[in-house]
Amino acid sequence: MEEQMKEWLEPYSTTDFKTSAFETMQEQVKEWLDQGKVDLFLGYKMVEEHPLPHFFTKDHLDEVDDLIFGQARYSLEKIATKIAAEHPEMKIGLLVRDCNQRALNVLYVWNQLNPENVETINVSCCPSKLKKHADCSYLEPKKSGSYKKMVGIDNNMEVAAAEEFSQGERYNRWLYEFQKCLKCYGCRDICPVCFCKECSLEHPDLIATGSIPPEVPIFHLVRAVHMGGRCIDCGLCEDACPSDIPLRLLYRKVSETVEDLFGYKTGTHTDQSPFNLLEDEVTLEPKPL
Amino acid sequence: MTIKRMTFLQELLKFMGLEGRLHLDWISSAEAQKFVQVVTDFTEKIKAMGPTPLSGDLDLSAIERECEAKVEAESIEGG
Repeated sequence: MEEQMKEWLEPYSTTDFKTSAFETMQEQVKEWLDQGKVDLFLGYKMVEEHPLPHFFTKDHLDEVDDLIFGQARYSLEKIATKIAAEHPEMKIGLLVRDCNQRALNVLYVWNQLNPENVETINVSCCPSKLKKHADCSYLEPKKSGSYKKMVGIDNNMEVAAAEEFSQGERYNRWLYEFQKCLKCYGCRDICPVCFCKECSLEHPDLIATGSIPPEVPIFHLVRAVHMGGRCIDCGLCEDACPSDIPLRLLYRKVSETVEDLFGYKTGTHTDQSPFNLLEDEVTLEPKPL
Repeated sequence: MTIKRMTFLQELLKFMGLEGRLHLDWISSAEAQKFVQVVTDFTEKIKAMGPTPLSGDLDLSAIERECEAKVEAESIEGG
């Protein structure tokens, strides 16, 4: 396995590739900042061997030499929405992965960012027919332990496989996962498409407060419902979760259902959210009792 | 639109094992008989299903015990 990984990483790890790719990108960013095409550029800066989100400006052009890309990922577009809220006219440049681009599309739909004020430098990193693994922290999916596999939900499970358990088992397995929740709000805080000023998860009338785990399963279901037409399957929520709850799987089900029912593929375009529109004709029938 | 939203919710609840407890129907104010029928049928269905596992105080430790019992059973089976 390690050998294989080395093979995949080979083209990215050679000094030549890195230097030339980084230099091209850095030159581009410098040019944009210099010409005023963007007022600031959001990317990653290597600090003490750690790639950290950083914004580069015209006043500190020399910093751009430290601009890098790699496996690290963060919802840079979320930072952009915060900046845009304060300075609506500011032109923002962004380093975007495939998932960032999908998130940007959703943020355009929900008027959190103005596409005219956003410039992107794209890094293609999601798995494709030519490339089995993503060039990000999902390069190697986390493996679930045998106990979790037996009583909970394996994070690497497919939606269809998770649906095969009997009703009682499905319930127990999900509740086992949910009751590990520490209510850290990490999933929401990292989520690139969570932008509400008032969050239902913090509303005492909707979700009881004062206990850990939070009220299950309502805490997780409320978040899941809100992901309808928004979740772009970046997996940052699951990456951030200290309790290893298979949130990505849950939201994948949400997105699949939204696609089946509304014919809406979240993040791939900037059409209005299906939850916003009235439709001409619906062919569905109510489910029988 | 309502039907799509409700189906969405039904699917989500089903995914985590709480299916069958949410129902949607169209009944006009002139359809008293239909109303009675739907409510009666749904009540009967829910009665047959028994109380929701979420009713009362949720006993999370019971779920944990159940999980552990399952692990034990499987380890005995396995060897």
